[in-house]
Amino acid sequence: MKKIAVCYKWVLSDADIRINERTRELDMEKCKPQINEYDRMGLETGVRLKEASGCELVALTCGAATEASAKDALSRGPDAVYCLDDPVMAVADATATSKVLAAMIRSISDVDVVICSEGSSDQYAQQVGPRLAALLGFTSVSYVSKAEVQGDALLLERKLEQGTECVKVIGPVVVSIVPDICEAPIPSVKQILAAKKKPSIKLGLADIGLSADSVAPLLHVAGVKAPLSERKAVRLNPDGVSISEAATALARQLAADGIL
Amino acid sequence: MADYDAIVVGAGVSGSTAALCMAKAGMSVLVVERGDRPGVKNMTGGRLYGHSLETILPGFAAQAPIERTVIREKISMLTGESCCTLDVSSARFANPASASYTVLRAEFDPWLAGKAEEAGCDVVCPASADELLYDNGKVAGVRAGEDELTADVVLLADGVNSPLGRKAGLKKELAPDMVAVGVKEVLELPGGVINDRFNLEPGEGAAHLFAGEPSQGMVGGGFVYTNKESLSVGLVMSMHTLTASRSRLPDLLQAFRDSKALKPLLSGGKLVEYSAHLVPEGGLRMLPTLAADGVLLLGDAAGFCLNLGYTVRGMDYAIASGMLAAETALEAKNKGDFSAATLAGYTTRLEQSFVLRDLHTHQRAPDFIGHTSRLYQEYPQLAEDLLTGLFTVNGPSTLFIKKALPVLSKAGLFNLLKDAFRGARSI
Ligand SMILES: Cc1cc2nc3c(=O)[nH]c(=O)nc-3n(C[C@H](O)[C@H](O)[C@H](O)COP(=O)(O)OP(=O)(O)OC[C@H]3O[C@@H](n4cnc5c(N)ncnc54)[C@H](O)[C@@H]3O)c2cc1C
Repeated sequence: MKKIAVCYKWVLSDADIRINERTRELDMEKCKPQINEYDRMGLETGVRLKEASGCELVALTCGAATEASAKDALSRGPDAVYCLDDPVMAVADATATSKVLAAMIRSISDVDVVICSEGSSDQYAQQVGPRLAALLGFTSVSYVSKAEVQGDALLLERKLEQGTECVKVIGPVVVSIVPDICEAPIPSVKQILAAKKKPSIKLGLADIGLSADSVAPLLHVAGVKAPLSERKAVRLNPDGVSISEAATALARQLAADGIL
Repeated sequence: MADYDAIVVGAGVSGSTAALCMAKAGMSVLVVERGDRPGVKNMTGGRLYGHSLETILPGFAAQAPIERTVIREKISMLTGESCCTLDVSSARFANPASASYTVLRAEFDPWLAGKAEEAGCDVVCPASADELLYDNGKVAGVRAGEDELTADVVLLADGVNSPLGRKAGLKKELAPDMVAVGVKEVLELPGGVINDRFNLEPGEGAAHLFAGEPSQGMVGGGFVYTNKESLSVGLVMSMHTLTASRSRLPDLLQAFRDSKALKPLLSGGKLVEYSAHLVPEGGLRMLPTLAADGVLLLGDAAGFCLNLGYTVRGMDYAIASGMLAAETALEAKNKGDFSAATLAGYTTRLEQSFVLRDLHTHQRAPDFIGHTSRLYQEYPQLAEDLLTGLFTVNGPSTLFIKKALPVLSKAGLFNLLKDAFRGARSI
């Protein structure tokens, strides 16, 4: 193993999404960007493999306004970070994303292990890892819940519906991880401070030989609407009726609704 | 050699101000903040008196994320049936030298911490300082998780609880009669609706305080501050009376929101934030040791807060104490001496500034406000009886004095005079 590249997505945190109750549109205005949660586990997996193998570890991301992610990414362990930062990537689909990441990885040289997570919290397309493997001509191993170094090889466990599959891979590989693979620790003060001194490389599409047209999305999102959950808003203890009365009323209500 | 000249614990307004001033003076500074971002753990009713920050960052209001400039001050006495309000609006309130602004800490604190970062500080969050490090009895840094970080001086700006200040033996446990507890909700409303309801022009804000019914006779009061597109609504209640009663704070807040005076102001507001926090209000009585070998105490951690009933001030003191702590740290650096003797200059600076002077001026206020129950029960009732009497016509007219005397004697003229006298000497 020479160099591990961990891909991460700079997404808007879903904690602060607000829903317009009338139109059911999502209002993302208050959402702050962050490293996709599952990708933080990808970074930690990279750190552990690096420790075990002594190889190099880099992180890469592509999207719009991604340069701001560099410090956070670097504090999680990689030796360097590559941020492709281009406004046209704001609407990128999985096809465009994998194309860009593949071009970035080719430009970095020596990368033989790529780590992705199964999906990002915003799109959860579950496509980028396998597509990337196809574009790079690497082996693709998905649903990985455990990764270990054994000499030149990687021992990987795949978490499947019916059980666990253990595979041994030698040679270039794209590993797509599931979140149970590890916990992502919060970076320590010293790690955060050290991140400031590590290299962060900002790239544009031209730097990796792509044009804006070549990454135009094939998939167009027509709209996103929040699911409607209708509440009955029945209060069973108005004016503090006794618990037993309220409980009887609740049982009656549930029976009437056909739940009991 | 230490990692930094100074480490600041807490990126609230006091910590960030100190960090900014020290970095501007060329010191190397690390700020550790346990929240995911500065401000997420912090709370305030809503109003920043701008004067102290104005001296550090002149014209700050033009670039800081302030909500509105307060030009309207209202105080209401509420009873179950009536609301008597003093309403003062004035263009004078907007004078930058003395203006006050409504703020939301989740916006304001990151901005101020950003200023410190621009000036060259390392601001790290989330990172919690768990312990102080000592070298020969002198504070020499902090331990955060597994990391040991060293500095010549540590500035504790870690808020009202200040666990590190307590561990260092600088301050005692908070006693129930030294703190109040505040709850606040932020209710979202369109800016235009707020302007209409509070009679404001765009950018103008109102501060509205409430006494009487909101605290249900206990020591405390309610507030409403107008933000750009939301209202901050809450209560500040003295801990000792609240714990003695069986009332729960959320229920009191609910009743306050549902009161006649408030309901129409808040109607349609969407709850977007709920928070609760302690307010130090012991004043001079709880003054801790402000400086020891290698360590200073700032802002709420030092108890620099004043609740006078008609106004709550903490942030402007916090900012001023941050500035004075920075001056002291710089002096110590230049001398190459961070001992208690040099750092005592901090206490002297505070005594010469409005921070400790104000606490002296109002040293009787905590006692007066905390133990004059008439302020919360009889007087709102008195205002109601007097003023509704003034405006009630039901036949032949009587002189106001004739209506007033029985009301006043019911409240007890002697008490009234006594409280007026004591009040005048404390608030
Ligand atoms: C309900 C209420 C209403 C108020 N209304 C007003 C008002 O209208 N006007 C006004 O001027 N003042 C008001 N105050 C007071 C004012 O909010 C405080 O005085 C002010 O916030 C003090 O600032 P500070 O920087 O000292 O502390 P804080 O704002 O409390 O900041 C302390 C910081 O330290 C961090 N911290 C704590 N421990 C650690 C640790 N171990 N490691 C790392 N970080 C740590 C915390 O996360 C926090 O960010 C009000 C207070 C309350 C509760």
